[in-house]
Amino acid sequence: MAARYDRAITVFSPDGHLFQVEYAQEAVKKGSTAVGIRGLDIVVLGVERKSVAKLQEERTVRKICALDDHVCMAFAGLTADARIIINRARVECQSHKLTVEDPVTVEYITRYIASLKQRYTQSNGRRPFGISALIVGFDDDGSPRLYQTDPSGTYHSWKANVIGRNAKTVREFLEKNYTEEAIATDKEAIKLAIRALLEVVQSGGKNIELAIIRRNQPLQIFSAKDIESQVAEIEKEKEESEKKKKKSI
Amino acid sequence: MATFFGEVVAAPSRAGVDDEEEEAAGEQREETPEDREIRRELGKKREVHILWNSKLSASTGSFTDEQFPCSKFILAIGHNSVAFLSSFVLNSGCWEAVGSVKLWNEWCRTSNTRSVLPTDAFCLFYKLISDPTVLLCQCNCYVAEDQQFQWLEKVFGCMREEDLQVTILSTCPVTDYKTPESTLTLPSPFLKALKTKDFKETICCPLLEQPNIVQGLPAAVLSYCQVWQIPAVLYQCYTDVIKLDTVTIEAFKPVLSSKNLKSLVKDMSRSGEILKKLVTTNEIHNNIYT
Repeated sequence: MAARYDRAITVFSPDGHLFQVEYAQEAVKKGSTAVGIRGLDIVVLGVERKSVAKLQEERTVRKICALDDHVCMAFAGLTADARIIINRARVECQSHKLTVEDPVTVEYITRYIASLKQRYTQSNGRRPFGISALIVGFDDDGSPRLYQTDPSGTYHSWKANVIGRNAKTVREFLEKNYTEEAIATDKEAIKLAIRALLEVVQSGGKNIELAIIRRNQPLQIFSAKDIESQVAEIEKEKEESEKKKKKSI
Repeated sequence: MATFFGEVVAAPSRAGVDDEEEEAAGEQREETPEDREIRRELGKKREVHILWNSKLSASTGSFTDEQFPCSKFILAIGHNSVAFLSSFVLNSGCWEAVGSVKLWNEWCRTSNTRSVLPTDAFCLFYKLISDPTVLLCQCNCYVAEDQQFQWLEKVFGCMREEDLQVTILSTCPVTDYKTPESTLTLPSPFLKALKTKDFKETICCPLLEQPNIVQGLPAAVLSYCQVWQIPAVLYQCYTDVIKLDTVTIEAFKPVLSSKNLKSLVKDMSRSGEILKKLVTTNEIHNNIYT
């Protein structure tokens, strides 16, 4: 049945599906994992770094991009589509600042990106954007925000979420481990993001990229060394807790 | 003229015979020697050739005339299945390359110069040194429908089929899997099995449900085994990744607990390393998705 209703974006199937939008969600699953955590005074974005070709410049393969000084975004899916969305969002951030003399709220820019995506699900001759995005930042009132958008143009606020390959496994981990204690401090929130990624990332810390925004501070991207030291700390804690378990048995 | 069944049939005309039409029809019906020559050449081009190396002939006598005894035949079709056998089976025992299949069809591409395999061979046969009745085949090429019968005849024709057990590994896109559930919730990759009537061992995954069907060389081999009453099982991995992928390869791991393969896997310590090497050397850097 799908075969007759999945060619044109503007055609509903008899049971109410927009197959092109659903197929775009499949394209998102082909991108590597990205996780977002909302802490009390910090927002964290962690991504699985894709292996780079030998002759390729590493710094041009980025999954985490700043949209403005106080907002940044990680995506999963089609790289080229992400570039277009990021460019449009950046222009919108500056346009808003110049017009209204206030920086955008995280919700505003998320709504802008989501509306852009939705428009492409309703015009013929165009296909939906094949990316999901995690948008994090702080509003003017100091509250941390994490939003997620998907190719259909829906957006929701989350405490923690994950997109891309293996999202299901990482989401289950977060549902079990996202607790008040786990995000009590900035350090704990960062550790939670790394632990979530380590569930699915092969070969550990060197394939992880991490970025944080603290209240009233710009985006900070962790160096490989910092991530390795965090991973080493997490593994040490894991070993110690396993030793304790064995002793108690 | 259309019949009641919708077929178009040329009706004989009482108006008389049209000479021109009859001549043209006559030409079509008769094949010229040229046509026959072209057909013969095409047939020759699409022939399947099995080349056994001299070591095997020496050890088993001139086995182009005789069949060699075979107790286990493990066949991997497709690059993920082939990589699975390379990482988990071929490296944990002593195997010797004993032959290859050469064939050509429209799907064959020019040889990959980075490939470790001999450039002309597309299917490779390996024999276990400690037990020469165990034969393994890695088939990385597409065997077209008209070539499958030849392939089967020539490969199985070399084996003595008493006590033969066949295990086939292959992959299939998950989009071809028919299920009443939504494909978004399917836990791909996943394994499904299909076996012949004579296969009595336990299988390591659920059976393939109707109305799903198996196609291509795996289906041809399984059908052959069913007809000739050879116990055979096919493990098909439904995956959403078309290229070489570690997650898909590792989805075959339950097969290692099957009776046929359990005895062949002794040392898996290097499997991770070999798997990683296979995947990275074959990786075409795909920048479409990030």
